[in-house]
Amino acid sequence: MERAGIRETTLGIAWIKDAIHLIQSNQNDNVATWKTSIVDGTRAYAFPANLIKLNSISVLDTTDDKYKKIRRIIHEPTVTEDDAE
Amino acid sequence: MATSADKNWLYKVVGRNIYLWQYIYSGNTSVLGGYAIKLPGNYYGNQLIYPDVNIANGLRFEGTAFINTFVNNDPNILDNSDNPTLTSDTGTEASHVNVSYMLSLAITDYLQAQMADKNGEIDKKEYYMRSFWKKVSDNESNKRKAAFSIPSSPYAIKQ
Repeated sequence: MERAGIRETTLGIAWIKDAIHLIQSNQNDNVATWKTSIVDGTRAYAFPANLIKLNSISVLDTTDDKYKKIRRIIHEPTVTEDDAE
Repeated sequence: MATSADKNWLYKVVGRNIYLWQYIYSGNTSVLGGYAIKLPGNYYGNQLIYPDVNIANGLRFEGTAFINTFVNNDPNILDNSDNPTLTSDTGTEASHVNVSYMLSLAITDYLQAQMADKNGEIDKKEYYMRSFWKKVSDNESNKRKAAFSIPSSPYAIKQ
């Protein structure tokens, strides 16, 4: 902050966080993984809170116990039963 | 049970959620007299259904994450030939920003850009933001090595 000539610490820290967020939005500087359980009958799963840019989504293949990347569908499929979440 | 997960599972991004779909090729059948028969009035073929299985830690997201902004040691200096042990810090005079040296310089440019913006000096802001992105891209290209060659014809003239 001295190098940038900033005297307001709180504002400087906020801008540093903004800059890191901007960098992580554009580059894979710090890649992480998050896991959550798949629940029977549940289709909606929230993005992890500190995820900035999504690279891939995988599902655990129980036949060989490995995570495999799954594909994204563009259009919403026709839903004929919608009593679950 | 999830078999051929890469082929049989799909997702769609909906706001801050994803919708997870399972692909099946089937229909409602019943066994009558030892024969599987298709029940009338039910759809048979390609279907996307809600997940019909419980899998502990079955869904994995991969992406960039917000990091601990400040750490106690300089992440760019080795500690007796080993990578430094970094502990999260609240941000004091002694803290280090938890990024590479080049990105630290880029962040300095970003701060100067925001200072200029605050003071209404848009041309300065644009200058520092260009410098910011240049350093960010330099940081990325530092990790990659690419070479290309252009063949020249036998009588090519070099100017």
